[in-house]
Amino acid sequence: MMKHTLLLVAGLLAVDAVTPSDAYAERRYNSLRTDPAVRHRRLLVSGRFEFAPLFESTINADFRHVIGGGAKLEYHLGDMLSIGVIGVYGTSLDTGLVKKIVPTLETTVDPATREPSRSEFTSRLNSMPVHGAAYISLTPWYGKLAAFSQAYVAFDFYFQAGLAFAQLKSDCPSNVCNDTMDPEAAPDNNPNNDAPLNSGGRLGLYIGGGIHVFLNDFVALDLTIRDYAFSDNPSGADFNANLAVTSEDSRFLHHLFFGAGISIMFPTTVKRTP
Amino acid sequence: MKPLRMRAFHRSVVFFAGLALVAGTALAQPKKGPAPKPAPPAGGEAEPEIEMEPGDAAPPPGDGGEIDMGAEPGPGDLSADMAASDAAAANAVKAGELKRTPLSWKDILVVVRKPFLKARRTELMPLFGTTMNDNMVRHYSIGGMLNYYLTDVLAIGVEGQYYQPSFREPFDLVARQARRLPTINTYKWSAALDFHYVPVYGKFAVFDKRLITWEVFFTAGIGAGQSEVEARDKKFPGFTTLLIMPNVGASMRFFLAKWVTVNVGIRDYVFYDKFEPVDRSPTMNATADEAKSRADGALINNVMFQIGLSFWLPTSFEYTTFR
Repeated sequence: MMKHTLLLVAGLLAVDAVTPSDAYAERRYNSLRTDPAVRHRRLLVSGRFEFAPLFESTINADFRHVIGGGAKLEYHLGDMLSIGVIGVYGTSLDTGLVKKIVPTLETTVDPATREPSRSEFTSRLNSMPVHGAAYISLTPWYGKLAAFSQAYVAFDFYFQAGLAFAQLKSDCPSNVCNDTMDPEAAPDNNPNNDAPLNSGGRLGLYIGGGIHVFLNDFVALDLTIRDYAFSDNPSGADFNANLAVTSEDSRFLHHLFFGAGISIMFPTTVKRTP
Repeated sequence: MKPLRMRAFHRSVVFFAGLALVAGTALAQPKKGPAPKPAPPAGGEAEPEIEMEPGDAAPPPGDGGEIDMGAEPGPGDLSADMAASDAAAANAVKAGELKRTPLSWKDILVVVRKPFLKARRTELMPLFGTTMNDNMVRHYSIGGMLNYYLTDVLAIGVEGQYYQPSFREPFDLVARQARRLPTINTYKWSAALDFHYVPVYGKFAVFDKRLITWEVFFTAGIGAGQSEVEARDKKFPGFTTLLIMPNVGASMRFFLAKWVTVNVGIRDYVFYDKFEPVDRSPTMNATADEAKSRADGALINNVMFQIGLSFWLPTSFEYTTFR
């Protein structure tokens, strides 16, 4: 046992003696690893106001497309963080689904069937004359691209989150929505004459993402996908199949929009990083 | 005898351990001392040796093998030789201790090479897709693409996809609220021959730290697919349709490593599809063939969002031009 221990110690000492000393050398790092990725970079957004007249349109709406125009006002606190508001006035157009359904419906009201008439169906659909959001925006990516090896432009990607607001409107005339009784208290099992309950103001959540493509130092093309999420019942009809239109037929829906605008930055001169 | 042997053995172990320590120290030090003398040539008369030790007197003239250097200083004045060599060395580049200059941003090339080359490489891309423009039924697809890049911007390839339908909220709402059954077709599979072109290349910084290169490429192709009618009344059979399916699209590619990239894009598959006739009864359009012959047709744009992970072969590349 003693003999084995001594042999082991001798062997360890011998191994330590012949092991190259640089096995314990200090790891070397690139001296540039803490430096920014780009030098002499133009600060295209930092400390600037952004005013962007824009156009928006719904993506994949079920019953009514909303298209409209508005503006975005944003202040860039730094290179990555900004706050802003957006407001859009819009008009509504029937989707292809509505155009296919309406011609197949009965022209006059027939209480004997559960099928809505054309006026009962179309007058319950709501529109969105005004919508917008207040948000915080994060711009984590900026860069340059070359198109056809000719045009070199700067761009950045941004992501937004905040509060959404919308004004909804539906106009169901009294001769169509003529059920004056509370549908929960006195249900008549006919949802086609109930009030649609899809008008008024709404508050909800907003998320969005987009890209700036800078045409020069102070003008950029702004392309965005925006999601205004709030409680809504676009058809104004009985969703939960309880034969009555109530507040329970509204659900949290995502209203997706595509926006395109021209961003104008103020001041128009741009600074550079060291 | 045994205790004596043990003591001796212990002493030898300790001796060898100490020897190892000394030897290790010796090995860590640079070698010193003169080089061994070369062996004399085999056979023949041995040539006279020349002593090169410093401080020794120069060999007397007239000895065999000496070369008269003319203006060289006289024999015995080796200090003059050394002074002359010192003077010459003073004018030469001084060789001092090696210094490593720190890398600075000034050493960075203004225009760097593209970090990813695609020419004569094969791209294998499993992908996942979803329909973007259908309110009634959303199709999820899984498939793959195999592309060969003829140049760094032009590629030819094939793709294949398998579709899985998922009915959306309006499908039930139209039935429940408007008392109407929608006319729906679902898609089964598609395949295409595609051409890809890369017009846009760029790079961006993430959180002002890491640089990522990316590009945009356009796709155009021609292929085929299959759709199937979802019969409104299940007692009547549906039918399938073989579709001629050209497609166009645009995608972005992000370069993660020399052999892997991430692709995201939009693709529009255009085809003329046939839908179930609205008037089906036991006496009219009752069979699949009859219904298909009287089917209503419409031009369809199936816009899909696709995301995939590309693997490149060979897994590395080399520039063939000078930097």
